[in-house]
Order: sequence, then C-alpha cells, then structure tokens
Amino acid sequence: MNGIFEVNFAAFSVFAALLITEIMGAVVLLIAWSAREKVLDYLVPIWEVTGTFGALWVVTGGFAYPALLVPVSSIFAPLLVVFLIIWVARSASIAFAEFITKSGWLDETKLYRAYSISTLVLGLVVLILLSSLVGGQGVDLSSGSFSLASWATAGNILFVVGTLLLGVGMAPIFFGLSSFRKLVLPLALAGVAASTLSYWLMSADLITPWIAIPILLTLAVGLLYHWPKTVRVVTNKAVFLAVLATIIFSLQPFVYPKVIGQALAVDSVTTAGAMADAFASITVVGLLLLALMLAFYLRIAMRGPSGPDVH
Amino acid sequence: MLSFVRFLFAFTIGSHILLVSTSISLIFLISISEFLSIRHNDPTYEALARRLSKMFVISFGVGTASGIVMAVELIGLYPGFMTLVASTGAMSLFYAEISAFFLEVLALVLYVYYWNSFGSRLVHWIVSLFVVIGTLASAVFITMVNAWMNTPAGFDINAFTSSGFKTITGVQPYAAFITASSVDQVLHVVVTTLFAGSMVVGAYFAYWFIRSKDSSEKAMYGRALKILGAIAVVTVILSGFTGSREMGNLLVNQPLKYAALDGNPVPGTNLPDRFFGTVQGGSYVGGFTLPGMQSLLAQFETGITYLPGLSQFPQANWPPLLVNTTFNLMAAGGVALGLFFLFYFLALITKRRPYESRKFLYAWIPASVVAILVYQLGWATDEVGRQPWIVYNVMTVAQAANTSAGLLVPGILIIIFYLAVVPSSFYLYARVFRGSHSTEGTAA
Repeated sequence: MNGIFEVNFAAFSVFAALLITEIMGAVVLLIAWSAREKVLDYLVPIWEVTGTFGALWVVTGGFAYPALLVPVSSIFAPLLVVFLIIWVARSASIAFAEFITKSGWLDETKLYRAYSISTLVLGLVVLILLSSLVGGQGVDLSSGSFSLASWATAGNILFVVGTLLLGVGMAPIFFGLSSFRKLVLPLALAGVAASTLSYWLMSADLITPWIAIPILLTLAVGLLYHWPKTVRVVTNKAVFLAVLATIIFSLQPFVYPKVIGQALAVDSVTTAGAMADAFASITVVGLLLLALMLAFYLRIAMRGPSGPDVH
Repeated sequence: MLSFVRFLFAFTIGSHILLVSTSISLIFLISISEFLSIRHNDPTYEALARRLSKMFVISFGVGTASGIVMAVELIGLYPGFMTLVASTGAMSLFYAEISAFFLEVLALVLYVYYWNSFGSRLVHWIVSLFVVIGTLASAVFITMVNAWMNTPAGFDINAFTSSGFKTITGVQPYAAFITASSVDQVLHVVVTTLFAGSMVVGAYFAYWFIRSKDSSEKAMYGRALKILGAIAVVTVILSGFTGSREMGNLLVNQPLKYAALDGNPVPGTNLPDRFFGTVQGGSYVGGFTLPGMQSLLAQFETGITYLPGLSQFPQANWPPLLVNTTFNLMAAGGVALGLFFLFYFLALITKRRPYESRKFLYAWIPASVVAILVYQLGWATDEVGRQPWIVYNVMTVAQAANTSAGLLVPGILIIIFYLAVVPSSFYLYARVFRGSHSTEGTAA
C-alpha cells in the first residue's frame, strides 16, 4: 500500500469522474440541443470545479513523483501542448457562453458548441495519455518520446471507443433524459465489452479479478435505472458521481504497482522522507478544509428552491 | 534557443499577470459593492456586484486555465528548475495553492450561482470574502515561490551545487513558506497587483462614465469609480511603502541585484541615486544623479550605510545593466501615479467628487496605461535583475532550461494563442458587462 499513490489516484478519480460527466454533457449539447437546460443546470456551476480537481491531480502528481515530472512532461510534450490550448479554449468558451448576449455573429449556441467540441477533444487527449500510461504503447522510455502512430493499436483505439460508448450510454441517466432511456443498457453493455476487450488487448496482465468491480458497478447503474424503485437513487448527481469516481478508483491495479506497460515500479519513484511527511500533513489539512467547504456548499445548494441561477 | 525560452516564459507570465491583476481587483470591487449595497440599502451597488460577478467568473475561468498553462510550461521550459522545486519545499507551496483554489472556486460557485438561495444577504456577502481570501491566497503562494527563487531555503544548497545538482538533502518542506524575502515580496506584489488591476477596471468605467447618456448606468459607473478610486489611493501609498521595504530587503539579501538596480559601479557610502545611465569601465555614465539620495534612503530603510557595488561580484554573474533603466522608469511611473492620486485625494477630501469629474476620468485612462507599464516593468526588473540565476546563487537559467529545438513550434503556438486570448478576454468582459441592464437582478 502506497498512501501517496492512493491520494494522487483518488484526486485523479474525482477529476476523471467530473470530466466524464462534462463529456456526457458535451455529447448531449451537440446531439440534443433541446435538452440543454438540464445539462447546463449541471455544467455551468461545475466546470470550474473540474479544473480545480485536475490541477489537484497534477500538483499531487508532481509532489508524489518528483523524479517523473520532467521525463513524463517531455515524453508527452506534444500532447500536453494540445491539451493546454484546448483547456483554455474550453474554459473560455463556456465562461463566455454563460453570459454572452446575442450580438453579431457570436452567440450562446456557437460558444456552447465550441465548448462541447473542445471538451470532446480534451477527453480524447486525456484518454490517449491514460491508455499509454497503462499499456505503454507509443511511449519510448529510452529516447523519452511519444509516437501517436505506435499508440494507435487496436487495444488503445478500442479503449477510446469503449469509454465514449459508456459516456453516451450513461448520459441519459445522469441528465435525466428519459427519451433516450432505451439506449442506456445496450450502450452500457457495448461499452463494458469494448473496454474489457481493450484492456486485454493492451496487456493480458490487466485482466485480474479486480476488474469485476468496475464492470459490476457499471452494469448495476444501468440496471437500477430501469427499476422504478431505484431510479431516483441512480439519477441523483451526487450518488452518480460518487459511483463513477469509485469505478475509476477501482481501476488502480492498471497503474499500480507498475505503470507504462509494467516498465516502471511506482514505489521506486514515490517521494520519501520529509517531503512524504509534508505531503501527508498538507493532504490531511487540505481534505479537512475541502470537507468543510463541500458541506457548506451542499447546505446552500440543497436549500435553493430551483437549483442554480444559470439561465 | 535559450533566448527564445526566456522570451516565451516572459511573454506568457506578462500576459497572465494582466488577467490576474484584473481578477484580483474585480473581486475586491464586487465584495465592497455588495457590502455597500447592504449597508446603504442601495440597489445600484447590488446590481453592480451582480454584473461584475459575471465578469469575474470569466476572468477566473480564463485566468486559472492560463495559470495551468504556465505551470506546465514551467516544466517543459525549465526541467532542471522544476526537478528542484518538486523535491523541495517549494512544491508544498503549489500544493497549498491548490487548497486556495478550492476555497476560491467553491465559494465563487456558491456566490454567483446560488445568490438567491441565501436566507441572509450578510451571509452571502461573507461568502464573497472567502472568494477574496482564496484569490489573494493563490497570489500569495505563487509569489512565495518567486520569493524562494530569490532567496532559496529549505535544502542543503552546498550539497546540491557541489554534487552537480544530483543530491538534494536536508529538505525542510515548510521553509519555502517563509524565506528571507517572502514577507516583503508578497506585500509588494499584492498591493501593486491590486493597484494595477483597479486602474485597468477603473479605466473601463471612466470611459463609459464619460460616454454614457443613461443616468442609471452613469450612477453605477460612478459608484464603481468611487470604490476603485479609494482602493487606488490606499494601494498607491502602500506600493511606495512596500516597494521601499523591497529595496531594503534586496540590499540585505540580494546585494548584487541591488547594486545593478541602483547602478552602483563600486561600493561605498554617501552614494547618489543614479538615473537612466549605465555602468561602463567601472563608472556610471550618461543619465543624471541625485547626490547622497541613495544612501539616505537605504539608511532610513535598513540602517545600512555602506552600500554594495557591482565591482564586488564576478562580472559573469551581473544581470543585464538595463535593469537600472527599467527600475528608474518603474519608480518614475510610480511617483507620477502617486502625484495623480495625491490630487485625486485632495479633490476627494474637499468634496469635489473626483470619481465623477470628467477631468479626472479623462486622466484616469492614460494613467491606467502607465500603471500597467509600471507593473510590468516592476516584474521585469525583479526577474531580469536575478539573471543569470533562476534560483539565486544556486542554479542559472542556462542550467535549468530545456533548449531543445522541438520547443520552437509549440512555443510560437502558445504566443499566438495568448495574443488572441488576452485581448478577446478583455473584449468579452466588457461585452458581458455592457450586455446586462443596470438594474438586473435587483429588487428595485
């Protein structure tokens, strides 16, 4: 057990869960604009929180693995440049879309479309990054470089497709879009099948008994959505996010104890000594503050008569 | 390539601080506006706070995204530096900064999107204070990283340098929070950032106050200017005071930088202040001097009478001597702005309402340009004055930098991107503010 890894991976799980829900929202905005109110009620107050959890993941990663900071950033430099530019574009477009008034060529619809497309590209970049960290394809540790052509194996492409299927399949649950109800189970099943196959294609070592946890949790959410007694539970956004973060957190055997196609032992590059103690102390204080802030947030947010004022 | 790396980061940070200074002044203005709306039961102040909060959301979104760009850019451009940061207490500052982000973002979401869900307006206003604290704390922590670069602490520097940057021992994770220059630098950066941002936001309101024919809009701009004028008066005074402390700190902790900023070719007592010249052949040429002034100020600030000179240090370690000029320009601009606000203050206490006077408002617009130039010159003087070091007396920029030619294309893309993002952000802030009606969201 590596506590520092667990904290960093937990931060990643929350960030990834939030980003996946943003991707779901982006898909809905692109293909079902008429359902935008339900999506924007969620997206508008949350997109900045996603970014903050992303920053938390990056900073705890830098703190936890100081020796990896430079090699990883140089290996993935081209992807990171794309990520950064898209990141600013995504943040700017949704922030402007929220408050823009119709005048000239630029309006809310165009800006939300720009946000949706940039979020989808962002998701793609993150998935390429993650799949190469898991399977190691495309990464050349000796030359410190990354090749997209070498990355583009059947396993990695299927990983992207599987995640997209899961995202689209789960979106009707998360945003309460009952008209797309029939798509949920078929897409969830297809997504689980594609993802599992992709893990096996990336490396047969990834298929361990642990994988039953994310598969069962994903299918359970899809099934519970179709059962009238539990539909309110799984469509509750806090519950859904918690389950999604748990599913992602349960995937940690993919990157621990070894990462980048089993080439690198995580424990060997984890910070130690006084810095490890400082990491623990700052994490505890930070978590307490975060818990207090979230409690206050929920207290106010739950009290509102009709959700956030975003329209 | 090293010059390009230097330019790229300087350009990025120069663009970023424009966004950040605006954000910081906006949240002060919002919080004060809401407080005044409660205190005086004035719906115009509330409408002002509501409309500004929209601008702030955009500025926060773009500013934090730009901050992330800068953090990643630092890793790519200065890998040697970031390896040192990640292995020492400076990393604790980044981690603490994330906590500040969380405070800022959660409080901001509540403040903006749940405005009507609060039972008490006072509690809602208190939430704005948390946004202020989060915003300021972010600025404070990142400035502490810069202070650590100026006066490094919290690891065995001798062991690190003698091992060829391989051995990092004696790590004290919290030492970076309080280095020899932290307090002075943080105080100066915070007040000057607030001042520069207030000038920019004020210029926007001054322009529209002059142009507007709508009395309700004019009333709102006038209130904004009243608050911003007060902030500017206070912060311009504090800027002078904290700037003087900064120079005292340099004298004690970074004597070479001090000597370069003041253009001292040789050490000595009773030294003059030197302006707009340069050091050549061991003496200061060109420009003009004020006899005894430098020593007088240094003695007043620190009690030190024997001041350092460049000749005490190896020439290879001298920063570009242009810093004397940038420092002088910054100081001259600061004095000019101080005089402007002296007149403003005199008009205020004689009840001539300078925040609604066309004369003052016409002057405010060019003054805001001067304020931004002074702000950028201050930052440039600090950074260039530390050259050739990235971490003072520990690691040079050349030792820390990644000089791979592969950085050229992404670097140019980032420059083009910022050239588009910064002006379009300011354009859209203005458009969003002007797009809302002056009484929007008020009970009036």
